[in-house]
Amino acid sequence: MTYRPKKIVDALEYNRKWDEWARQGNWSPVGWRWVEGSKGHRLDQISSTNYLVIQRPHASVYHHSYGMISKFFKGLLEKKFYGTKCPKCGLTFCPPRAHCWNPGCRIQETEWVELPLRGEVFTFSPMAFSATPFLKTLPFIIAYIRVEGCCTTVPTRLIKINPWEVYPGLKVNIHFTDRTKGDIMDLYCTPAETPDPSKCMMTPEGIERLKNDMRKVRDWVVKKFGSEAKPSIDI
Amino acid sequence: MSNRVAIVGAGISRFDNPRFELHEELCAEAVQEMLADNPNIEYPKDIDAVMYSYFSDHLAGQLCFHWIIHDYLGLLPKPAYRVESGGATPVDALINAFMYIKSGIFKNVLIVGWEKMSELNTPKVNEMIAAASDTDWDFPVGGYYTGYYAVLETRHMHLYGETEEDLAKIAVKNHNNATFNPYAQWRSQHGTTFITIDDVFKSRIISWPYRALNCAMISDGGACMLLASEETANKFTDSPVWITGIGLGTDTMRPGDRVDNPMYKGLYPEDEALYPDVSTKPASPYPEMANFGSMRTSGDMAYKMAGIDNPVKQLDFAELFNPYDGVELVEYEDLRFCKLGEGKKIVREGITEWGGELPCQLSGAHTAAGHPVGATSIAQATQIYWQLTEQTANKWKTNARALSGAQRAMLQGHGGTGCQSGVIIFERG
Repeated sequence: MTYRPKKIVDALEYNRKWDEWARQGNWSPVGWRWVEGSKGHRLDQISSTNYLVIQRPHASVYHHSYGMISKFFKGLLEKKFYGTKCPKCGLTFCPPRAHCWNPGCRIQETEWVELPLRGEVFTFSPMAFSATPFLKTLPFIIAYIRVEGCCTTVPTRLIKINPWEVYPGLKVNIHFTDRTKGDIMDLYCTPAETPDPSKCMMTPEGIERLKNDMRKVRDWVVKKFGSEAKPSIDI
Repeated sequence: MSNRVAIVGAGISRFDNPRFELHEELCAEAVQEMLADNPNIEYPKDIDAVMYSYFSDHLAGQLCFHWIIHDYLGLLPKPAYRVESGGATPVDALINAFMYIKSGIFKNVLIVGWEKMSELNTPKVNEMIAAASDTDWDFPVGGYYTGYYAVLETRHMHLYGETEEDLAKIAVKNHNNATFNPYAQWRSQHGTTFITIDDVFKSRIISWPYRALNCAMISDGGACMLLASEETANKFTDSPVWITGIGLGTDTMRPGDRVDNPMYKGLYPEDEALYPDVSTKPASPYPEMANFGSMRTSGDMAYKMAGIDNPVKQLDFAELFNPYDGVELVEYEDLRFCKLGEGKKIVREGITEWGGELPCQLSGAHTAAGHPVGATSIAQATQIYWQLTEQTANKWKTNARALSGAQRAMLQGHGGTGCQSGVIIFERG
């Protein structure tokens, strides 16, 4: 058989409005300003001068293949939870690896296994800032979850718990979102047990500080994004 | 291969946000300073090759930026090479230049590093830097570098018990050091007033346990350094600073993969034995997600080469990679300033403060001097060079942080969440 691959960009179904969006961000200036600034390579040698600053957007749509671990992400779309297991050493990976990294296994190909929707918090952080795409959902908790039986941990959102109640070792249940879309955000976690207050990582003053901080962040997000704001922590 | 390698010149273009000058103009300022300070350098004749250091094509929207810099500095047709390894980019460039000279192919290698991060707004800068994490796994859940380092520090706090106060104390030390540094962004934006622990707690929360004053700044700036072989060093200076050790190490791209990592299992048995009983012991108890194995590996390699077995006693000062204050605390352990879990003791006893046994970050470093990624470690190396040649008081116009008689210092840099680390030991001639 003659092998003739189809171009990945032609092979996919998606909303073509994103092509238009990528065309709009086309490196052409959308504004300029004559800005007063400084000149000088040390703070004791500074003089004033002006600079021309332009605004220049650009945007792209990436056509990204999940390669040999596509089954994991297809599984998310179908609400199934998979990892991979090395037939030589038995290590189970989630995130999955298509090849075992154990030095003795000589890049052995792994096999797919279905995983339980249970795990425990290995570590976590309450987030009060983020990269652009996630600002609307602040504040939120990211927890790295060791899925039962796995040798690695998966980053997920942890909800239905106050940030000061979380600690490494807390048991969690793993869930799928209602409308899965094929990335790791299709998963989230909730506590599977009542948090043990004796394991709290923060001092009473630290908790008060964090409560205030989280309120401020929530108010900022609501003010900035209005009805689009979706804070994950409510205090 | 016995040929030693020396620093014979260096310069910095101050760190700030924004610097409106073009990238190449920032680099030119740094090279100008080096040439003004060392008239013995015949420029460009004495430059055999150039190692360029800049991190993110995304931040500038420009690939192969070093071709722009190279002709701008009048260095054609000399060999030019670009290095990119996240935050380790500049330390990597220095180590690569060292190896270029060691190979015997080149005698004098110039290293030029820079970054301009002010062209995008703060969430977007964080997004572009997060593109240096695994974008299939860590980024889509809302991850970004402060967040990744926060979860790592949470884990270390859980196992070894340092507090938010300990982290704040590191922030205070570094910011107050930076108030004397005329190349520092904190001094430009804030002035010369000292801060307190309370100021750190009042600063905006970013990702618990980190607040704004615990975090690296977003900066523009440049730096350069000229390394020379033993054969040519004397032509340039009577007071060279020698590189007597280098080390490199790596760890996983995804921090979450470090739990049972078979590649680290059993590597550091003395640390594995110190694992506390607050948590179930993973298969890879050191470094797991709490410490930085890449730093331990790179530090040990450099110490061995330089003949160091007690860094606190044998080093006079250090410039460490400190994008977030917990990293500095954890580095104290990974670089063997103390035993695993005792980083907090180093903080509490003031060992790394000005006047302490091993002052760290006299420049202020990432959180206070600034962190234009491709320039940062080169600027730190420049500050080390000035300290070891006793030029700091003159360069800074104050002796408030100028050491007298310092013989030996360490530079440590890393990229990602400690995915790659480099260490260099410097000694005065």
